[in-house]
Parts: sequence; structure tokens; C-alpha cells
Amino acid sequence: MNQPTSLLDGWIQENNKLVNRSKGREDHVPTRDQHTGPCSADFHKLLLKIQGIPPLADHMQLELTVTYNTCVCFTAQSHFSEAELLLKQATERVLHMTVDDHDASNPLVLWRKVLESAGSVPLKEYVLFLLCLQWAIWLATCQLKTIQEFKDELFSLVETFSSAIGGDRRSEAGSSDSPLLLLDPRWLSEHLRICTAIAQGAERLSEGWSSEALSDLQTASSLSAPRTLLAYTHLLSGSCLAQMSRPQMALQCYRKALETDSQCVSALYQSTLIYRQMGNTQAEIQALRLLHSTLMFPHTTEPTLPGTHLLSPAFLLCSQSLSSLLSVPSALSVLHSLALKCVLHGRLSEGVEYYLDLLAALHSENQHAVHVEVPPLPRLPKLYLEAGAALLMARLPADCMALCDEVSSSTVELLPEMVVLEEQEDRCEAETGACAEDEDRVQILLWATAAYLLQGHCYTHMRDWKQAITHYTRCINLLVMVRFKKTGFPPQIPNADMVTKKGTHLCTLQRLKGLSLAGRGISFTQTSQLREALRDLQLSLQALPECVGAGLWCGEVLWRLGRRLEAAACWEKTWSRTTQSSEESLSIYLHEPQTGPLLDSSELRRRIQELGHPSPAQE
Amino acid sequence: MEGRCAVETWAEFRSSGSTCPQRLVYTHGTDVFLCTGDDEVYVFCSERRKVTTVLKFPGPLNDLYGTNEKTPLYAACSNGVYCVCLQSLLSRPQNLSADASTSPAELQISSESLVVPVEGVLSLLPIGSLLVTLSLRDTFWTLTLYSSSKQSEPFQVLGSFSLPVVSGVSHHETEGKTRMKRRPMLIYVCSGDSTPLSSSPTSLDANGHISHFSLEPVLFKLLFGVDAALAKSPVILCGLPDGRLCFLPLRPLGSGLRVLHSLEQSVIFIGASSFLETSGHAQCLVALGEQGRVVQIKVNKAGPEGGRNTAGFTEGCVPGPVMCSCIDKNYLYYSTGSDLLVLDLSEGSNGRKKDEETCNKMVAALQNPSSLNVCRVNTLVELKNTTAGEVQLLSLSVGGQLQRITVPVRKDDGTLSNVPSTQVGKGIRDLLSAIGDVCERASDLKSAIKSKNQILMHLNQVLNISFLLTANSDKHLLVQEKLFRCHAMTSWSRLLQKDFLNLTCVLDNSSPYVLEQGWTLSITVSPLAHSPSAGRERSSTNFSFPFQNLLPGETLEVSLPLTAAADTSFPITVSCSIIFSLSSLLEEEAAKLHGLQSRCISLPLNTLTVDWLQALQVDCSKPTSQFDNTNNAIQAFIDSRRIRCSRRGEVGGESTPKSEPEKYSATVRVSSELLKETLLLKNCDSDPHPNVCLSLLDWLLSEQHEGVKRGQQGDKTAVSNSVIYARGPNGHTIKLTATEGNLKVENTGKEESLTTVEVQIESSSLAAVCGLHHAVLHRVQTLLLTAPDRAASTKSVQSLALRRTLQQAEHLLQQIQQHRISEGFSVGVSRGQMTGPLLRVYRELRENPLLIV
Repeated sequence: MNQPTSLLDGWIQENNKLVNRSKGREDHVPTRDQHTGPCSADFHKLLLKIQGIPPLADHMQLELTVTYNTCVCFTAQSHFSEAELLLKQATERVLHMTVDDHDASNPLVLWRKVLESAGSVPLKEYVLFLLCLQWAIWLATCQLKTIQEFKDELFSLVETFSSAIGGDRRSEAGSSDSPLLLLDPRWLSEHLRICTAIAQGAERLSEGWSSEALSDLQTASSLSAPRTLLAYTHLLSGSCLAQMSRPQMALQCYRKALETDSQCVSALYQSTLIYRQMGNTQAEIQALRLLHSTLMFPHTTEPTLPGTHLLSPAFLLCSQSLSSLLSVPSALSVLHSLALKCVLHGRLSEGVEYYLDLLAALHSENQHAVHVEVPPLPRLPKLYLEAGAALLMARLPADCMALCDEVSSSTVELLPEMVVLEEQEDRCEAETGACAEDEDRVQILLWATAAYLLQGHCYTHMRDWKQAITHYTRCINLLVMVRFKKTGFPPQIPNADMVTKKGTHLCTLQRLKGLSLAGRGISFTQTSQLREALRDLQLSLQALPECVGAGLWCGEVLWRLGRRLEAAACWEKTWSRTTQSSEESLSIYLHEPQTGPLLDSSELRRRIQELGHPSPAQE
Repeated sequence: MEGRCAVETWAEFRSSGSTCPQRLVYTHGTDVFLCTGDDEVYVFCSERRKVTTVLKFPGPLNDLYGTNEKTPLYAACSNGVYCVCLQSLLSRPQNLSADASTSPAELQISSESLVVPVEGVLSLLPIGSLLVTLSLRDTFWTLTLYSSSKQSEPFQVLGSFSLPVVSGVSHHETEGKTRMKRRPMLIYVCSGDSTPLSSSPTSLDANGHISHFSLEPVLFKLLFGVDAALAKSPVILCGLPDGRLCFLPLRPLGSGLRVLHSLEQSVIFIGASSFLETSGHAQCLVALGEQGRVVQIKVNKAGPEGGRNTAGFTEGCVPGPVMCSCIDKNYLYYSTGSDLLVLDLSEGSNGRKKDEETCNKMVAALQNPSSLNVCRVNTLVELKNTTAGEVQLLSLSVGGQLQRITVPVRKDDGTLSNVPSTQVGKGIRDLLSAIGDVCERASDLKSAIKSKNQILMHLNQVLNISFLLTANSDKHLLVQEKLFRCHAMTSWSRLLQKDFLNLTCVLDNSSPYVLEQGWTLSITVSPLAHSPSAGRERSSTNFSFPFQNLLPGETLEVSLPLTAAADTSFPITVSCSIIFSLSSLLEEEAAKLHGLQSRCISLPLNTLTVDWLQALQVDCSKPTSQFDNTNNAIQAFIDSRRIRCSRRGEVGGESTPKSEPEKYSATVRVSSELLKETLLLKNCDSDPHPNVCLSLLDWLLSEQHEGVKRGQQGDKTAVSNSVIYARGPNGHTIKLTATEGNLKVENTGKEESLTTVEVQIESSSLAAVCGLHHAVLHRVQTLLLTAPDRAASTKSVQSLALRRTLQQAEHLLQQIQQHRISEGFSVGVSRGQMTGPLLRVYRELRENPLLIV
């Protein structure tokens, strides 16, 4: 161009060129950093040039536009302090132009002053753009308190933008003589409004102010916003209601969230938690199944509007309390709980299917990495054992044995010769090297024993008593290698008197011992080795007094040995215990087998009654 | 002496000096893939012993991976990972290489084979349908898994794992600069009882050995856990340049990248060896560090009396530095650059017992490699194990030679086998050639040392001189006291009907050092201020004069054209500096020094200013005619017409056209007392009754000022008239008048009179008047500096006048600023309208000349 252009025009053109370039590039470049990196530097350079001259009204619009664009880039790159500095400088320059003296160091005071002084100036609109960005920075850095303090101004900002007839500025923005904006501030302000409502709701919810949060969230849910964000408002309302112990209403809200956005998996997950709380197992299983299929379904990403990818809602909503509310376990975790639920609640064939699906998924090449998962998926051997137990319950002992074989063969070479189990309370929870290794050693031993136990159960089920006895014996031999150590005392063989807490290794150990001894005792009974049977069953009762099978069979052996009164007492004692409920929290492979030879309780009672009539004098 | 290695050179490749590592990949078929460190991959056919194809990638390659002709070749380029299917590429464009039999086909790899568009991938490893890449992001090693459903389709990210970089790993000091070139090493291992993932039973890694090992199941479980073993998962092993060995089981994902061991030096190589012939699995993992640290990881078997299996780490140290390595069953081959060595891993390992003795034996074995006497090996690949027991290795030498190294059969006792007598002759020949090699290498090294010494001496001298100069500049020495300085003289010459102003510049070496070869005198000529019409950029011209030896006390005289007549951009700044070019001295060393920002040392000497006075052509008397030649007359005529026309257009024809162009003038008043004290004191002996006016003019025109002197040509007679006519560089006549007179000065109420000399400058050219005014003022300023201190009694400060003048000046400054800003924003306003006010401001500025006392 030969025509010498004025600086103002030149700067406008440079700005527009940068905006168009960044908009043109947004489709190709995958990551955000690479995208805005050079752009922000370019914008900043341009801004420095413009700020080289004193603030005057005729070029202030351009300057504020470039400040806005630069700050959008900086914010999108999470360079918040740089962006805030620029905003501060810009407001100060505006103040310089309108009022002469100002001495505000507090950003809020500064903003109020600028809004006040720019009220009459045509720059007002541009100052509001910058305020919009400041809002975004506050939100992205979780300064919800500041936003709350500045609520009125921000609200009037949204009002101003929405009352302005849409498209008046934007339509003429295509021409080259007005500076272009990198991101539509109206779009941004609307997003900020709902995102603020969501973030505040989550914050209040985590602080326990459910009812206050609820009202805000419900007003937010009537705003016009993308489906994803609206679904979040419903979801959070549901969580508020759940906290206020109104599960049915909470479920309603979750349903609304799902209707709004079918990809809102957190709503599904939260519903399963509510169902679990309410004890509605069938519904819980149903919801888990739905959740799993949704998670497996390929994620369809919503097409983003052009120019809006820079400050996405995900970028603005980063508070800890919200992300913990939105977190959903991985598909594999969901599948595991689904399988476990099915097995525990009698839907055996389904449960087995799910377990097999889970194992297949774990063996497939294309599994997605999940970084932090709470609660984590159980270790692989444990999953194998659970699946094996499910298969056995479904009366598929051959498959169960195959799984157990894998576990035992993979652990057999690593078995320690002796393990000392320290008292749980004193165990350091930190994952130090030695501790983790010790822990691993104990777990390997417990997995191997459980595998033998299940194999024993399988043989019992197939009435191969000899094999069953072999496997139970292997199991018992491993178990006796464990010594229990209380701090200050020498290691000793654990017994049932020790206080056993649920979920500890000691508890597992005692259960394994009781079950394996009971199993061997029952097998001995079947091969008519009554003496051995009685010894094992009594030892079993010692280790695990609540073992029903051991109690009943112990009575039976006593009866066969002619010790009828002792037998009757034994039976009575067993019946008097109500223990079934405690099994719920244990791994399913530690449950008492329901597949072995059974004794008919009514038959036993009849025997006791017969015993009672002819010989009351004997007692 | 045992049998020796036979080295056979297959081909020679250009070895680029770039920083990218050389890569060599041997595939199971006949092809060898080679990358010598740039963006090209050569496909070398080992059967035909020639390069068949050249693949050209869009950028330098970091890593290369291929298994055989059927599977695709993966290449980590600077802008992403490319996946190239050679067969389909070669079959498609048959027309491309018509004479395929003679010259290699050249294939340009386009972006359509870009499968992972992520920058900065350092290493890659395909496992089945997965692709593993390792890159360095900020301070994190990032391992990323990709999967693809179909080939040549963009891969999708499955997950990524990162590990913070550990700093502070000791590096060999000479190796420091090559550190960044080290590429992380990636391999994967499977448990021996699980089925391998890839289609081929073994595949070869870029560094030349089987990249997929099947490890003894016990060792696998001990190292990588029960979960990985149960899931039959392959485990990715990576050796990082910060010395750590990390692993990641592929299934179940999510356990994260964990550290297995740390060598505390850059990991060069990871491999597995199987010294027991009975089982098909490898019994131990070996890792080799840059400085020769070896770690061997094996199972410590449970004894018969009890105990359990544990993983045993045995560390040793071999003489380094290690350039590359490869493994063959139980022998680890590695190159230090000056020798190829072999390490027997089986020694001491066969003992089943876990006692002190075997342990010591193992450590000892790890420390005693035996030499194979092959030097300059850069990259190593195992080629094959012949039936006779010979091992063939493929290597790429430092000089870019592709060589096949045949290692003779080893006997069980670990010594090399005796060669049959028929081969003794051949052995001696080999030996002699090896001696020749070593001799050549030694003489190479000797000459290298010599030249380095010379360079060091040279550098020392340069350092001395730079120190001298920088120390000078610190102390603000006067120009006269500088050890290196420049002074200059102007002179007019006439060439091709045009007048040229020449500058003769003299570099004076009064230091005790010799300016040796490699120094260059650089003179930059640039106008101090530039006129806006001349162009936006500041036009400066650079002259450099390389010289041989400038001994102490010698001078170097160079002459350069300063400007042609009619170029009015005075005053001109002449910056002198001496430059030493390091690149000419260091040559290839400089190329290696990445930290060196510029290859030159530039030392500024002093800056000279050529002003209007020095550019004057003086005619002592009144000019005979206004314009002394026709050429100029026409020029002046055109100029005057133009001025008139423009003036008419500007003022709107209001004023009558003048016959003569407007005269501009400026005056400088200096008190004669000052002049007498300074100027006349110097040469009072020559003239008892000096004329102040004449001596002032004489001084102005002929005295050296700031190192520049006006050359006298023809007019060297002393100034005899107080009116001087001269021609400026733009051809305009200039009249310089010096008159002595009395000036009444109003000083705090009462009037005083003061004798002053008034220098008046008159010309029709505004530029000339301004320039000369500036020059004269500048001279007088320096005069004031040299003036002896006078008592404050002479004159009190003209405070009132001064204040008024200051106010005026401030006002004018404001006006100028306003004009400048409005100029920036206005397009419509014409330049004429702009300059009008500025000119007015300027005149106002000069209206009331200050009296210099």
C-alpha cells in the first residue's frame, strides 16, 4: 500500500489479522497451549506498542479491545497473574483519562471506580468486556468470595449485555475498520453466569448449606445455557436434596439432569448411590447397568461454536468440591460393582456374565488409563477369586477351578516361608518400600490360600472327597505359616479370642482357617474318617465360631459317634447364632459355601426332640 | 593371540554433523534401515549391498522402528510420528523410478502418513496395535499410549503417564554437551508363559537386539507383580537419560509408571540374556549406563533349606564411555568409540548357590570385558548367529561407514578359539591393518592437539586485547589515551562529474599487543538523524577491512567513500570497532558449541562524527558566479522553481513570486573574552595581534574535532577574510561571517555592554543553515569545556532572561509533541501543512540566540 495509513488503522488491521489467524487455526491444532502460545505473545507486543502513547479517547477503544484479546489468550493458557496485571493497567489508563487522581490498590475498588467513571463515556462497553474477563479469572482461580462481593456489578453487566440488541456490533464486525474480538463477550458473560452459579452451588453444598445452594441452583437452571451446564445444575440440586435427606426428590432431579443431557453420567452414578442408600437393590442394579453402558458408549463431543473453545466451561469449572461431585468411577469399576451386586442378590447367571466380561476387558489391549480412582478397582487376583466364587455359586466348578489354578500358579513361586502379621493399628499406612513389600507378601499368601480353598469347595461340590481334602490341606498348611505379632509380644499363632476387625488381614485369615478346616472336616465325614473330621470341625469352630456348616456337621459327627447330647447342644448353639448378616461386607470368596453336602435342619430338630422324650433323666 | 574380528565395509554414508542421533535398524528380511542423523532414511539391501530406497521425511528424525518388510516402519519426526508401509509405497509409484536397477528410488514422505501429530517424540515402540511414545514435556518424562483400529489412521490416545525428571545425575564432563542427544530407550518384555502380542516371535529394536523378550515367569512376577502376570500383560521398560529404569504394565492400566532401578547415569541399553540353554526364556535383565555401569537383574533362588525367591540386582562397572550396545544370548557387546568390547554375562551365573563366592565372581565378571579391537563404532546391531557359532554384528561407524563385524567362535573357557594355521596369514594381515588404523588415528590426534594449542594461543591474545579494551571503556579515558583508537580526515574528490566526500580513517595501535590475523576493522557509517523522506529505515553502511598483522606502534590507514554530493544527511556518525571472528578460528569446534550465541567478538573503539563544517568546500573569496558549473546551475534552477511553485501552492498565490530564493540565516554569539582565552592562547606566539574573528573561523574550519579533521585541498591558506563562502555537500552556497561587536546585555536592571563575536550563517538551504548552526554550537560547546575556569565575578547569571527562554523552550516542546501525536493519527493532513508549524517552531527557537560567555 502506497497510501500512508495512520497508526490507528495499522493497529486495527494488525489486531484483526491476529484474530482471524487464531480463528483460522483452531480446527487443526489439537492442544490448547500450542494454539494460543504464539498468539498471546503477538497480542501482547501489539498492546505494548499501543500503550506507548498517552491514553486518549479516540484510540482507547482499540487499546481495550487488544487488552481483551491479550487477556483471553493469557487466561486460556492459565497465565492468570499476567492477565490480571494487564487488566489492572488497562483500568488505570482508563481512569487516567477520565479522572485525574486515583489511588486504589484494591482491585475491587479500582473496578468500581472505573465503572463509575466510564459510565458516561462510550468506553463503558469495552470496560465491561474487561470486567467479564476479570470474572472469568476469578472463577477459574476459584475466588468465589470475590465474585460474591462483586455480585451486583456482575449482575448488571449481564443485564447490560443481554439488553443490548444482539448482533448490532457483531454484524458490523466483519468490516476491517473496527477491531475484532477473539471471543464474544456476550457468550462469555452468559457462560460465566451459569458457571458461577454451579461453582457456588457446589461450594455451598460441600460446606453444608444445602437449602441456600438449592434455591440458587434452581434459578440458574432456568437460564439459557448449553445442555451440559444445565444438567449440572439439576445434578447439584439433586445432591442438595440428597443431603437434606429427601432421596425421592433427589432422584427426580437426577432424572431431569439425564433428560437434559444424556451424557451426564454423574447423575446416573449419584442415583445408584441413592438407591443403595435406600436399599433398593433391583433399581441400583438397573442404574449400574445403565451407567456401565453409557460409559462404554463412545463419547460424542458436542461441536463447539467457533471461537468459543478458548475458555470452555471445563476450564472455568475447576473447583475441588465440584470435581469431587462430578467424579464417576471407571467403566471397569462400575462393571465390578454390578457383577458383585448381582451375585450378592441372587442374580447369579447375570453376575457370572458380568464377571467374565470384566476379566475379558482386563485382558483386552485397548483399555483406557484411569489415573486416580476412588475407590480403586481391586487387585487382579482378588477379581479372579471373586469370579471363581461366583462361578462356583452358579455351579460351574470346572471354570472356577481354572481361574483358581491361574491364581495359585502365579503366586506359588512367590510364597514366603513365614509371614509375621503385625497388629493393624501399628502398621504404618505410608507406602514405604519395606511396608508395601510386606503387605504384598501377606496378600500373595492370602490369595494363594483362598485359591486352594475355592478349589477345595469345587471338589467338594463334585464329591471328589480325596482331592478336596488335598486342597484344603494345602490351604491349611499355608495358613499356619502366618504368625501374629502384637507390639511388644513375640509372634504367636492367632486364635479366635483376638479381637478381629472386619476387613483386616487377620479377619480374613481367621475366616480362611475356619472355612478350610470346616471343609476338610466335612470331607472327612464323607469318607467316614470321623475322628479326623471331629478334630477339624472343632478347630474350625475355634477359629470361626459363627461358621454354621462347621457347627451343624460337628453335631452330626458327634451324633454318629454316639455323643448325642453333645450333638444336640452343638446344634442348638449353632442355631442360636445369627451371623448371616456379617458376611455381606466380606469378599464373596470368603462366604460359606452353599454347594457342599447339606444337613436338613428339620431332620436335626426332630432328632433332638426324639432325644428329649425318652431320656430326660440322663441330664 | 586369538582369532580376530573380521570387519567388512559395506557402504559409506555421508555423516551429517547434526545433533540427532544416528539410527540403525536391521529387519528380519534383507533390509537395513539407516538414518545418519538428518531427515533421510536409507533402505539398504544387504543381499545386493546397495541402497535401494531413500525416504525423505519432513524433519530430522529422533527414532526409527521397523521389524520387517511387511510391517510398517515407524519414524519419530520432529513434528510427529509417521507410519510408512514400505511395500505399498514402493509398489504404488512404479513410474517414479524408471531405472530402479541403478539408482535408489527417492520417496518423499507426506503428511498423510503422519499418525500421531504430536511434537517432541523422542522414542517410540509399537506393540501390536498399540504405539508407545516417550517425550520430554517441561520437567516430566511422558509416556503416552496410542491405539489404532486400522493402519495409517490417526492413533487415539489411550492414556499417558508422566514421571518428573531427576536432575543432578552425574555426567562425564566431556559428555556434557552430548547429553541432550541421548534418547530414552524403550523395550517391552513379556512373561515366558504368556503368548506374545506381536505377530513375529521376536522383533528387533532400533538399537539392534530383540526388543521383545520373554522373561522367565518368576523373574517377571518378582519385578512387575502378580497382576501383570495374571493379565498376561507385556511390560514396557524404559531407560531414561536421567539414569532410571522404569516399567509400565500394559494391563491393568492405571498402576502408573514405576521405577525399577536407577543407574545414576544415562541409560544406554536394556536387554535380556538367556544363558541357560534349557529354557527358551531369558533369565536375566541387563542395563548398561553411559559411563559403564552395568546392572544384572536375576532371581535369587530359594535354597533347599527354605527362604523364598527374590529379585537380585548385581551391579558392576566396565570401562566407559559407552556409545552403543547390543546383546546376543549371553554376550553383551558394547562400543566405547575407540574399541569394541564384549562382556560375558554367563560367567558366575551358572552357580545355583547363592553364596559369597559366586556373587563375587559375578561382580568380577561384570568388570572384565574383553576387547575385540574394532574402533570408531557408533551404532551396533546384531545381524545373525551363524551355524558355525560366529556372531555377525552390523555397525555404523563414526565416519558413516556401514560395516559387518564377524566375531569369531568362542570356546567354552571364554577365550577366543584358535584359528587354523591356514588362516594365520589372514590373521596377520588383519593385525597389520589394525596397526595401520591405530597409527593413523594417533597421527590424527597429534595434529589435532597441535592445532588446538595454536588456537588456544590465539585466543589468549584475543582475550588480552578484549580485556584491554573493555577495561578502557570502564575508566572513561579520553580518546587520546586509548591504546587503540581511530581518527579520520575528510576530503573531497571529483569522480565522473560528481563530487564525493571521502573519509580517511586511521587505526592507531599503541598497545603492546599485535593485532593478528582474524581481526577486522569495521566502520559503520550512519546519519545521526535521518530525514523522513529518505526512507523509513535508518540507512547505515558498513565497511570492514580485514588486516593481517598490526604491530605495536603501527597504523592502518583505510579510505572509504562517505557520501556523494547532494546527499544532505549530515552529521554522520562513524563508529569504529574491531571484530574478531571466532568461527574462522574454531571452525568445526564452533559448530559444536551450541551455547555460543554469536560467532564473533566485537569490540567498539571510538565513535567519530563528521559534521557540516567538516563537509564544507571552502572558496575563500566571494564566488565568481552563484553556481560554478552548468550542471549545478541547472540543478539550482530546478530547485528554485520547485520552491517557488510549492510556495505558491501553499500560500495560495497570495505573495508575489520572488526572483531570489529565501535566505535563511542563523547566528551564534560568543563572547570575545572567551575566545581570546581559549583560541588565542594556543597560538599567541605566531601572531602578536590576532584577529579574533579570523582565528575563530580558522579554528572552526581546520581544527580537529572529535577525531575528525577537515582535509585541506587547495584552500589551505589561512583564513584571511572574515567572510567565507563555501559550498555545502548539497551544493548550496553558504556564507559564513564573523563580526566583532558590542552587545548590550540587560542584567538585573542595569545595562552592560559586552564584546562579542557573532558568527552568522547564511544560505538558501534550510538544511545547510541548520546543520552548520548545530555544528558551530557543538564546537563552541567543546571550547567551553577546555576553557580555563574563570572567577564567577565576571558575569552573574542572566536569570530573568534565562527563565523566559526556558519557558519559551518548554512551550515549543509541547507544541512539537502535539504535532507528532496528531501526525500519527492523521492521514488526511498533508505533509506541507504538517511541516509549516514545525518550521515556525524551529524559527522561534532560534530567534533569540543565547550569548555564550
